[in-house]
Amino acid sequence: MPHSNDHIIKSYDTELGRLTGEILRMGELAAKQLDAAIEAVERRDQGVARHIVDNDDAIDTMEHAINNDVVRLLALRAPMARDLRAVFAALRVASDIERIGDYAANVAKRAIPLSLAAPVAPAAGLRRLATLANAALAEVLEAYRALDAERALRVWQGDTRLDEAYTAVFRELLTYMMEDPRSITPCTHLLFMAKNIERIGDHATNIAENIWYVVHGEPLTLPRHSHDTTTDPDYPHLGNPR
Amino acid sequence: MTEPAATAATRPHIEVRGLDFHYHQHHALKHIDMDIPARQVTAIIGPSGCGKSTLLRVFNRIYAIYPGLRAAGEVRLDGDNILDPRYSMNRLRSKVGMVFQKPVPFPMTIFENVAWGIRHHEKLKGTAMEQRVEQALRSAALWDEVKDKLKASALGLSGGQQQRLCIARGIALKPEVLLLDEPTSALDPIATGRIEQLIEELKRDFTIVIVTHNMQQAARVSDRTAFMYLGELVEIGDTETLFTRPGKQQTEDYITGRFG
Repeated sequence: MPHSNDHIIKSYDTELGRLTGEILRMGELAAKQLDAAIEAVERRDQGVARHIVDNDDAIDTMEHAINNDVVRLLALRAPMARDLRAVFAALRVASDIERIGDYAANVAKRAIPLSLAAPVAPAAGLRRLATLANAALAEVLEAYRALDAERALRVWQGDTRLDEAYTAVFRELLTYMMEDPRSITPCTHLLFMAKNIERIGDHATNIAENIWYVVHGEPLTLPRHSHDTTTDPDYPHLGNPR
Repeated sequence: MTEPAATAATRPHIEVRGLDFHYHQHHALKHIDMDIPARQVTAIIGPSGCGKSTLLRVFNRIYAIYPGLRAAGEVRLDGDNILDPRYSMNRLRSKVGMVFQKPVPFPMTIFENVAWGIRHHEKLKGTAMEQRVEQALRSAALWDEVKDKLKASALGLSGGQQQRLCIARGIALKPEVLLLDEPTSALDPIATGRIEQLIEELKRDFTIVIVTHNMQQAARVSDRTAFMYLGELVEIGDTETLFTRPGKQQTEDYITGRFG
């Protein structure tokens, strides 16, 4: 961290440090939730899935605590410059992590009906997506801990890999559904789950943008090409006459 | 730090160029270059002893009454160098008003506090004088509170009212520039709020320079903020930028409370 020198008022440092700690714990919990959700899918374990859905409340509670801390810091400390940006970013990052938690819970929720249907092969693709999303999340949390804008930038740029993986899963699922209409129900669940995981990557990039803002004081404005091509009009496999 | 030369249309109201100031051996201001735009509020912040009050005092040459103090360089007001001895003190006083940290009402009536200064510069009598006093008190947002007791002693007013009376006294001479040296540091938050509201209204007519220890106040009332440290101007810029993403590490450290 470039700011080794502390505030004259030491309790101010304690409060800012606590805010960072809360964000990191919240992020780690969200990452665990996603991991567990994928396990619930793979092991077809409804009990674990329900547990994950219930656990989402814990993430929401943490977000409320962070919101309270941010409001208190703004009111009592009147942070300036980089401190102000850090406090403002904490609010936004907490909201991104809360969304990530929601997506993890959604994946778990769909794991329940999915476990009742006959197993479908593309479920394996979900693990690949989740691994990429969780790696991005872990990396961006590390960048947040260290306030490392370059590291955050790499996460931001790396999101294209997740987009590409999502497009591959999407394509695979369509193929299955076209081959066997009985797979449509489980494959549709998987499609939504894949989309949820892809969105987690987007929130990780939002967090990266906030880290960039804290460090540099201006928004991250580099161009980035989207690699989610599933909405392209000439996208194949949609069954449309071409 | 040098700002680009201004064209006539956008010429700053006050231009400080290469200003040095000495209190005897102490080099209090070190080669300051600064532009102060017309009808805006410019705040000067910085730790005690950084030279901010000295700079303010140079703007009306108040230092000139003490021996051993000397200024070099230029402070141009509407293009004329006010440090030039040929620039008359009377002319300067009529153009630049000043309000200090502690309100100093004269031990006379509220009316006389305002009228007294006017008499030094103009010959106003009867209704004309009454109108001018009323106008000044109205501009200072004090009229409604004192209109029924203009003959009462100014010393009976509250601290906040006394400070607004001093502002009324300053603007009664219709100056162009109003210098405020920590005008609210002796006031409670309500009285402070009134002064800050007043500053916002006064900038329609006056160029205001305010020195304050209260950074939140600088952030609230000013359009531009200058940060000074050890007699140097570290950074000047629009207030929003200076408080959200200052350009210099020293500014950052000071406004975030990392050094004193």
